[in-house]
Amino acid sequence: MKTITVLSGKGGVGKSTVTASLSVMLANDNKMVAVDCDADAPNLALVLGLEDDDFDSWESLTTGEKIQLSEEKCKSLKFCPKCQGLQKCVDACKYSAITWNQEKDLPEINDLLCVGCGACVLACPVEALTLKKVENGRIGVGQTRYGFPIVSGQLKIGESGSGKVVNELRKKASEIAEDIQADYMILDAAAGIGCPVIASVRGSDYVILVTEPTPVAFWDLSRAIELVDHFNIPCGAVINRCGINRDFTYQLQDYFRDNDIPLLGTIPYDIRFVEALVNLKPAVIYEPNFKKVFEEIMDNCLLDMKNIF
Amino acid sequence: MKIAITGGKGGTGKSTIATALALELSTDNKVLLVDADVECPDDHIILSTTREKVGDVHAILPSFDQEKCLKCGRCSEVCKENAVVFIKDKYPFIVSKQCNGCGACILTCPSGALTEGQQVIGAIYQGKCQQPYLKQEHDLLLLWGEMEVGCENTSMVVNATREYAENRTSDYDCMLIDTAAGTHCNVISAMVDVDLALAVAEPTPLGRHDLELILQLLKIMKVSTKIIVNRSDIGELKLIEEVSQENDVPIIQKVPYERDILKKHSRGQPVIHKNIEELAYVLSEKS
Ligand code: SF4
Ligand code: SF4
Ligand code: SF4
Ligand code: SF4
Repeated sequence: MKTITVLSGKGGVGKSTVTASLSVMLANDNKMVAVDCDADAPNLALVLGLEDDDFDSWESLTTGEKIQLSEEKCKSLKFCPKCQGLQKCVDACKYSAITWNQEKDLPEINDLLCVGCGACVLACPVEALTLKKVENGRIGVGQTRYGFPIVSGQLKIGESGSGKVVNELRKKASEIAEDIQADYMILDAAAGIGCPVIASVRGSDYVILVTEPTPVAFWDLSRAIELVDHFNIPCGAVINRCGINRDFTYQLQDYFRDNDIPLLGTIPYDIRFVEALVNLKPAVIYEPNFKKVFEEIMDNCLLDMKNIF
Repeated sequence: MKIAITGGKGGTGKSTIATALALELSTDNKVLLVDADVECPDDHIILSTTREKVGDVHAILPSFDQEKCLKCGRCSEVCKENAVVFIKDKYPFIVSKQCNGCGACILTCPSGALTEGQQVIGAIYQGKCQQPYLKQEHDLLLLWGEMEVGCENTSMVVNATREYAENRTSDYDCMLIDTAAGTHCNVISAMVDVDLALAVAEPTPLGRHDLELILQLLKIMKVSTKIIVNRSDIGELKLIEEVSQENDVPIIQKVPYERDILKKHSRGQPVIHKNIEELAYVLSEKS
């Protein structure tokens, strides 16, 4: 099985739209699993017409940890020469999650900022701090009406560890892929190039870069390309909404040529893409005329992969 | 006054609105715009500012002294990021890109073999607008963080950028913070202690879904919030109005979609719109 990750750097350039339509096209002749790796703001299932209630199952994840303070134990330290007044935990926390509460004369923990690294636990001489497992997200598995399953996750609001949620999503998706003997797994990555995106890109076989002809999208794309290069993964590009700026589209094409990134296809600007989104349908289903465009992208992508592997 | 511009979903127009608002406000106020989307900071492209590096952002990287190491493996046990590779009877090995600089391994090492070293995880930049088509004087400084590609330590770069900005707030009337997409740690760090958050949303089913998520977060964070509907005439405004009512968060402004906006966007120009002028007016009245 091959894993293809769809990436853009900038959000809102149409990554989920492209992923949804490519998935529908790919599923025509192949067994595949789609995974929404944007655990912060998962949208792929919606684009494929699946609301939360339409999923077959949801399970909660407890890969997160948060710190808990025992005020008694900390206070017991009044006479301890080791920590008294030193506020070791405050120094130990590199995430600014612990501040000193002068009034209470106790450390105060900001749950929202704690990433559960455990440094403060090790710094505290009286075991006043402990790590507790917390529910930090959930994973759902559903069946799209286009013949393939989707795995989607949701980071619990206010929890950290979206990278860890992505790892769990991929684990779940691999199990399903094994069950159905899938040929492909398509991952829809989050915006940006931070930990959830790295967790999606790492170990992928191929990356599809989606961009649009705007300077901003291009700048973000170049950072995404750096990331893909960093992990040494072959990639191809798709230019979305190419009609909005012809000149810049040409510049992008030149850039891809100069950097040996195959251009898998271009997608015109068309208001019907927005209408498809509003109607919660993949573009190729909403407007069958779009099939040609996505078929070409899919064919080029599979061809490029064939040449590489 | 510290205002965060956020939105949950990427591409709803956070940066478009943040830059336009900063430009509007800066005709009468001294404005510090902080681009806290350190993974993909865009505001400097939209405003085509100068680019001056003001400093690096460092995180702890344990430095290892083989002579002192007892090969006990405790460092590897405490590391939640699996950044320390330990095989029995061998020396531990630290994968620097995976290390998030928490320092736990240093605290646990019984022999002092690990000490606080440093690695660069990002940089802070500043810039002034150079727009040739700006007619007025703007008192606007842009500050932004840029994370090293391949680092996962986003929130530390956001924290460092904010800290740098906070130290300069006395020189400014107003600080705008443009956050990243999503709801995770980097967005949270960007919005700690702000006076007001503006949640930018599109009137589509996806836009509604993502708005609900960011409103939940802002509620937990106890930040006073207002909604801005972007591209308000495309899709169904009702979707956002419902969320607004259900959550008791008012819509403060609607910015319609214009082909012109798209064109300006494709040239990397900030958008100037009368509705944003109005918004700037309302906000500056408040502060
Ligand atoms: S676990 Fe880590 S992030 Fe959380 S409070 Fe302790 S030191 Fe800070
Ligand atoms: S290190 Fe432990 S004892 Fe010292 S202030 Fe922190 S919690 Fe209390
Ligand atoms: S500093 Fe923290 S993340 Fe880095 S190696 Fe040590 S324990 Fe692991
Ligand atoms: S904890 Fe210290 S002594 Fe033990 S293996 Fe790690 S570096 Fe060596």
